[in-house]
Amino acid sequence: MSRFIRRISRRAIVQALITLPALSLFRNPPAPANPDEIDRDEIVEINGWILRRSDLA
Amino acid sequence: MIFDSYEGYKQAGFKPKVCILGSGPAGTTIARKLGAAGIPVVVLEAGSREFSDESQDFYRGKTVGDFYFDLDITRLRFMGGSSNHWAGWCRVLDRQDFEPKAWAPDTGWPISRADIEPYLKEVHDILELPDFRPDVPVSDDIRWVQLIKSPAVRFGEKFADELDRSKNIAVVLNTYATELIGDGKRVTGAKVWSNGQDAGTFSADYFVTCTGGLENSRLLLWSNERSNGGVVPNAAALGRYWMEHPTFEGGNAILANYSEFEVDASNEAFFSPTLAAMERLQIMNFGIRLIESPYPNVKKLIADLACTAPNMAEWMSSQLDQRLRCAAQLYVAWEQAPLASNQIELSKTDVDHAGVPRIELHWKKSPLERRTLIEGLKLFGTTLAQKNLGRVRIDDWISNGADYPTNEETAGHHHMGGTRMGTDVLKSVVDANCKVHGMANLYVGGSSVFCTSGQCNPTTTITALACRLGEHLGKVIAV
Ligand SMILES: Cc1cc2nc3c(=O)[nH]c(=O)nc-3n(C[C@H](O)[C@H](O)[C@H](O)COP(=O)(O)OP(=O)(O)OC[C@H]3O[C@@H](n4cnc5c(N)ncnc54)[C@H](O)[C@@H]3O)c2cc1C
Repeated sequence: MSRFIRRISRRAIVQALITLPALSLFRNPPAPANPDEIDRDEIVEINGWILRRSDLA
Repeated sequence: MIFDSYEGYKQAGFKPKVCILGSGPAGTTIARKLGAAGIPVVVLEAGSREFSDESQDFYRGKTVGDFYFDLDITRLRFMGGSSNHWAGWCRVLDRQDFEPKAWAPDTGWPISRADIEPYLKEVHDILELPDFRPDVPVSDDIRWVQLIKSPAVRFGEKFADELDRSKNIAVVLNTYATELIGDGKRVTGAKVWSNGQDAGTFSADYFVTCTGGLENSRLLLWSNERSNGGVVPNAAALGRYWMEHPTFEGGNAILANYSEFEVDASNEAFFSPTLAAMERLQIMNFGIRLIESPYPNVKKLIADLACTAPNMAEWMSSQLDQRLRCAAQLYVAWEQAPLASNQIELSKTDVDHAGVPRIELHWKKSPLERRTLIEGLKLFGTTLAQKNLGRVRIDDWISNGADYPTNEETAGHHHMGGTRMGTDVLKSVVDANCKVHGMANLYVGGSSVFCTSGQCNPTTTITALACRLGEHLGKVIAV
């Protein structure tokens, strides 16, 4: 019985490990691939430069 | 009248009502106001008509904490004081500089800018300034501000003839006031050192110390120690809240059009934050000085930009070939948060030739100031990018959180605080009229009375405060 529980729980852990990243993927939808949706005026700081995102295109 | 020695002055039998110590911008301005009001005034000046190594030596001292200039280099000890080598940049503190800032303790003055505005016309005549143009908002966060590069009036030279001709003013050179003597209610005299020796005690009804933003504290600390608290009875803040304008090169900018902003005769422009931006980011005031840099620097900057934004850099490079772009260095000077721990103390080991302890200056820049530097550059860079006026690159040492460089400008040679103005005797030394708390006849002139420093050079405000103090004292004496 106890071995069964241990087997179940191990399986549960494995399942959880598999599903978690998937869930987090669902929670954070991927960045829009459509360039129209990027805020081109957003101010970004890269390598000390203060730029508009559109400068990086 | 100008006397080259104390001995010569004594023989003249002049009877002054007021004794001013120091003939820099503050002392000279107060003397001229009093003289014009018909009040006999003597100005005791430690130095002579010219620079001398012997006189400068009295200014030697030590700094503990952040790197600072040698104390005998950062000021001048002869007639006219440090106006003999000031650069002449002028601007009056902003209205907002006088207001308390909830996010920065011990800010706020007991007077407002309106209290010195009536004297600005006189200040313009003294410093030979045209009218200031109002600030121009560049964005909600950044405003263009005007600093006028004046002819850098040398007070000793400009007013020598007028002082010499005056019947009411006696300037006594080579006369070092080593100590004020007080009984806790009044100053009863000043000990004088002349010709390499003690020359007795000088008496007058009123005393005004205008010995500079470091020396005022030194003189009062020493006098108070000798008089057992009889010169500054409420001395908790004496020597404390000392401030400078730290100044460093903070980055570079590529600009679409340098003439977008009004530049001065030196081709420079200045920018400061709006009060709303300071409030939102909880930072101090700052000034970004834009200095056009030579053509090869633009190329270097664009090459650097190419690593981050190649297309943008390529486009800029083509514009550069048509001379449509230029580069500028960004120097940032900022307001220090007033801290009681930044203070002037008397050395326990080192004295000058007259036996007066030298200064030990404790000075450190605070984390709030570091944040002001970073956020200030970001605000400016963001404004330029949003308005498409240019792009800013912040220097690596700032982005990487490295120490302040020691091979740069460092600060403005602006010595402020130490005898600050206020109503709380625990946090200030003089009242709103620059009178030492609890003393009937002792006043202080100069930037040592500043409660906060704002971002701009101090001498325009010093001169305005001196006009105000001269007028006030004239009225007190006339009563
Ligand atoms: C390199 C440099 C550049 C500067 N550039 C600018 C600028 O562009 N804009 C700006 O606004 N400010 C500038 N300043 C600061 C400006 O010079 C000072 O703010 C101004 O000179 C202060 O005036 P003051 O009268 O209070 O003191 P001071 O000019 O220091 O005068 C004090 C006088 O008191 C005398 N004295 C000292 N101790 C005694 C004593 N015990 N008894 C009798 N006499 C005494 C001294 O000899 C001196 O003549 C600069 C300073 C330096 C060093």
